[in-house]
Amino acid sequence: MNDTAAASGAFALSAASRARLDAVVARYPTRESALMPALWIVQDELGHIPPAGAVWLAERLQVPEARVWEVITFYTMYRSEPQAQHVLQVCHNISCHIMGARGIIGHLEERLGIRLGQATADGLFQLEGAECLGSCGSGPCLQLGRHLYENLTPAKVDALLDSLRRGAPLRPDTDRSLEG
Amino acid sequence: MTREDCRILSARFGRADGHRLAVYEAEGGYTALRRALKEMTPLAVREEVKAAGLRGRGGAGFPTGVKWGFVPAEAQTVYFMVNADESEPGTFKDRWIMDYDPHAMIEGSIIASYAVRAKLCFIYIRGEFGWLVDRVQAAVDEAYRAGYLGRDILGSGCDLELIVHKGAGAYICGEETGLINSIEGRKGQPSIKPPFPAVQGFLKQPTIVNNVETVAAVPPIIRDGAAAYRRFGTEKSPGTKLWSVSGPVRRPGVHEIPLGLPFREFFERDLGGMADGEELKAVIVGGSSVPVLTAAEVMACNLDYESLAAAGTMLGSGGMIVVPQRCDMVELIQVLMHFYWDESCGQCTPCREGTGWLHRIVKRLRAGDGTAEDLELLEKVCNGMMGLTICPLSDAAVMPMRSFLAKFRDEFAALARRPEASGPPSRWARATNEVIG
Amino acid sequence: MARLTIDGQVIEVPDGTRLFDACTLARGEALPHFCYHPDLSIAGVCRLCQVEIEGAPKLTIACNTAVKDGMVVLTRSPRVQAAATAILEMHLINHPVDCPICDQAGECGLQDQYMVYGLYESDVAKRDKVLKRKAEPIGPHVILDKERCVLCSRCVRFCAEITKTGELGILQRGDRAEIAVAPGRELDNPYSLNTVDICPVGALTSRDFRFRKRVWLLRSVASVCPGCATGCNVRVDHEGGRVWRLRPRRNDDVNGPWMCDRGRLEYKRLHADDRLTQPLARRDGALRPVEWREAWAELERLVRPGGVALALANPHQTVEELLLLRRLGELLGGPEAVYGGVAGTDRGAGDDLLIDGDRAPNRAALGWLGLREAPADELAARLGAGRTAVVYGGDPAAASPRLAAALAEGALIYLGTARGATAEAAALVLPLAMWAEKDGLLANRQGRLQALRAAIVRPGAAREDWRVLAEWLARLGAPNSPPTLAALRGEVAAALGLPAGTDLNALPATGLVAGPGAGAPAAGGR
Repeated sequence: MNDTAAASGAFALSAASRARLDAVVARYPTRESALMPALWIVQDELGHIPPAGAVWLAERLQVPEARVWEVITFYTMYRSEPQAQHVLQVCHNISCHIMGARGIIGHLEERLGIRLGQATADGLFQLEGAECLGSCGSGPCLQLGRHLYENLTPAKVDALLDSLRRGAPLRPDTDRSLEG
Repeated sequence: MTREDCRILSARFGRADGHRLAVYEAEGGYTALRRALKEMTPLAVREEVKAAGLRGRGGAGFPTGVKWGFVPAEAQTVYFMVNADESEPGTFKDRWIMDYDPHAMIEGSIIASYAVRAKLCFIYIRGEFGWLVDRVQAAVDEAYRAGYLGRDILGSGCDLELIVHKGAGAYICGEETGLINSIEGRKGQPSIKPPFPAVQGFLKQPTIVNNVETVAAVPPIIRDGAAAYRRFGTEKSPGTKLWSVSGPVRRPGVHEIPLGLPFREFFERDLGGMADGEELKAVIVGGSSVPVLTAAEVMACNLDYESLAAAGTMLGSGGMIVVPQRCDMVELIQVLMHFYWDESCGQCTPCREGTGWLHRIVKRLRAGDGTAEDLELLEKVCNGMMGLTICPLSDAAVMPMRSFLAKFRDEFAALARRPEASGPPSRWARATNEVIG
Repeated sequence: MARLTIDGQVIEVPDGTRLFDACTLARGEALPHFCYHPDLSIAGVCRLCQVEIEGAPKLTIACNTAVKDGMVVLTRSPRVQAAATAILEMHLINHPVDCPICDQAGECGLQDQYMVYGLYESDVAKRDKVLKRKAEPIGPHVILDKERCVLCSRCVRFCAEITKTGELGILQRGDRAEIAVAPGRELDNPYSLNTVDICPVGALTSRDFRFRKRVWLLRSVASVCPGCATGCNVRVDHEGGRVWRLRPRRNDDVNGPWMCDRGRLEYKRLHADDRLTQPLARRDGALRPVEWREAWAELERLVRPGGVALALANPHQTVEELLLLRRLGELLGGPEAVYGGVAGTDRGAGDDLLIDGDRAPNRAALGWLGLREAPADELAARLGAGRTAVVYGGDPAAASPRLAAALAEGALIYLGTARGATAEAAALVLPLAMWAEKDGLLANRQGRLQALRAAIVRPGAAREDWRVLAEWLARLGAPNSPPTLAALRGEVAAALGLPAGTDLNALPATGLVAGPGAGAPAAGGR
């Protein structure tokens, strides 16, 4: 049985994240109930939640470690392992399917040289399926980070991949920041 | 009465600036809140919403004013939660409300919290709507700065704190007790009832959970009165409804229409009928978890709760999925069965095992590895899942499965008679199986 | 009170009674169930206990329903049977059905239900079955088979609510859900083996018991754990003269349905290598096995009435045995020679659950019988040089070097069960019975008398303690040597000042609280 200090000893969060965490813990009615936003804070900084982070959070929020793992493994968006730089999640639910999602997935597999569920060797792209993303009237669509790319065509997919490789991502359809 | 007359929830849809507080206020926003706090008691607010006949827009259709009345009078700590976990396949209306008109949701939440005497309100937004979490938080910050949230709102002596809570990917958190458990920092597994959330919910306190669209309908009701709300819709289904329309119609997207409008008129006039080269085969009217209707059946329906129930389906979330002739129904049901298998929380045995079993049988059928007995087996599995679980996800898988089998049985039967597949499956079949298998 | 009708039978139960329990009452047997447990919170996930309630459109789980006056319930209607059959099948579709290699066979909830519902033909294609990890130790005592698990969550609730240690969780969702401990953690609380008891299937099994004995070969005797002053009630499961495992027996006044792991594994000492199986007499400096007849002769040579400086008991012996030893000791050395044990020994850490820091099961009786524990130094001083001691049970020589030296100097008679340091130093050793090999009464920390029952035969030539002490008394010509255990218990009742007519051969099911008040020894009553 690992000692908690040893198990979480390798884990450190930036000062900014720790401040965000403190604010969240203060705002939520109980420490336990702050677990989900706490996991997001860790994942937003590190890209995933390392096991040492899970131990650290269990201690910080006074919940059993088993509970932290229950939550991490129950929700699809929490990841306990490092992810590729760009995780492309393509909706394959019914409306997007009707509008051609499998063709888009096939196209992505071909362009990236990987199958659904895999990552490219250079660590740049990870391709996953997703259930309904709430873009049914504008499908096929995919999620990348906090945004969605919608009304996908093979050409739009190619443009997106190129833009990501260049480090200047295509503007997502859900980004309306220019509209003020 | 024109469609423009009933742009009640969708007044600011598609606009670049409708989400801003200044615009919302200029167009009458937060008038209702003023009226509620200064001129009405919480009971009066509940009575007005009850009189309006507003029904829950998340899928259950339960009368909202009645639900608000379930909180015990002597309750000291009450919580109000907005269910923005919208994950029902085919549904995206709450997304549009949050994207284009977040203040409508926020104002409605404040009024609702007042009506049930809650001092803390959570808006639970699904994790995949990352950009909306930011957008809604920005609107909440505006509301705080304007004094609509926090202490002594508008000098009323009422306090309300509002927390935007981000989900992390679980359809089952759209079930209200699953949502509550999720905010408590646990898995989003629904709770057994009794106790009911209005009596014992979040942290064992009375809790009311309402859908985004339901909440957004509250300010118009309080501002203009119940009678005004009732000038649209039917006796049992008053008001307007946002329909999320997907599939190859000319004008997909979110459409607001009065409840009770005939489907035929909606389809032809608002949606523009099928896109070029497409023919109507079937419609799933209420999000994937309701029985499918054939083209002939749906053309005879009006779009309200009671008509759709009489037709053997449900209005549900109003997520209308239009299925064209070119679609293979068994392929579509495999997509849906994969979804319910993926999303089952796993607590109850019939759902946990049944969703997986249904998916595996359908997948085998499509791969040419099924028999006629498998069709009976599908029905048998459905019987072991329906009405026997803590929450309706199990039923939600059964209803499309049963209705597809009943109304498109020939497509299933054709697969059952197919001989064992020989040679490698086509890239088409492989991709489908990988994606949805 | 509420009057309700279950399967046509009208019963009356207190308001608020759980419908599940009311059904058990009416039916004479429980509804089918996995997740319900009376000592844990309600989960309502197995869905097996659903019943038909008049007026309710859907079936209702009985475990989460309170009775209502006038309720009409059906538990065996066609609709309920169909649902139970379907739900049982759901439990089985991903189950490995590996009964031939599963310890749970014979006491398995799935097997029992399977027989009731006659599900002999499986509709599941083998290639459709979900596979999971099997035979994975998750702690020092428990091994997990994830395929067999029906996810009733009893084990998770036990660790959350009873031990409050929270080691277990259910990770993932859907049919990928599985019981697990956090990475790097173990199920290692002091009560971990209770999860094996409450697991209705073979998902959690005991590593100690793994593959050792088929349960239908076991016979069960109701007894009490001797591990500490709590006195948890147990079942001693034995076969072929050996004890194979202990399980807790419900006593809501003592231990509920639980016991600790240490007590549960207590049975192993019954079959330890250092058991005394023959009388031993010292010949030419070494202990040699002798027949009982020669042992009695040796005893007479070594011990004269009045010649014993120390008669030392210990709080592991039964009430009857302590009474006889006191009588014997007074005869052999006078009241001032008789002691209850070595003070300060047999203590450990206790908790607020079941484990008592007092590791002796009968210390209360020492007080009742006026037997004082004294520090080892006092006992050594009392012995002085070259005097005779009778030590009954325990291993006081191991407790203190000074006492060991004093015992070794004189003639030492040791009566006990294990060949420890004290036995090694003795001139004569008489082999006796351990707790599962004899009948006897123990008084726990509540002052509650509970009964040990013999489950297995003593090894070799070992004898029941009370018989040996009684015979010794008889050989010394004592007038009050009891002829039977029943008669001895009559004397115990009198010695403890219990109400007339108290029959210690027929204790109430949850024991008899004698206590200092009720059982103060009558003055001068010996």
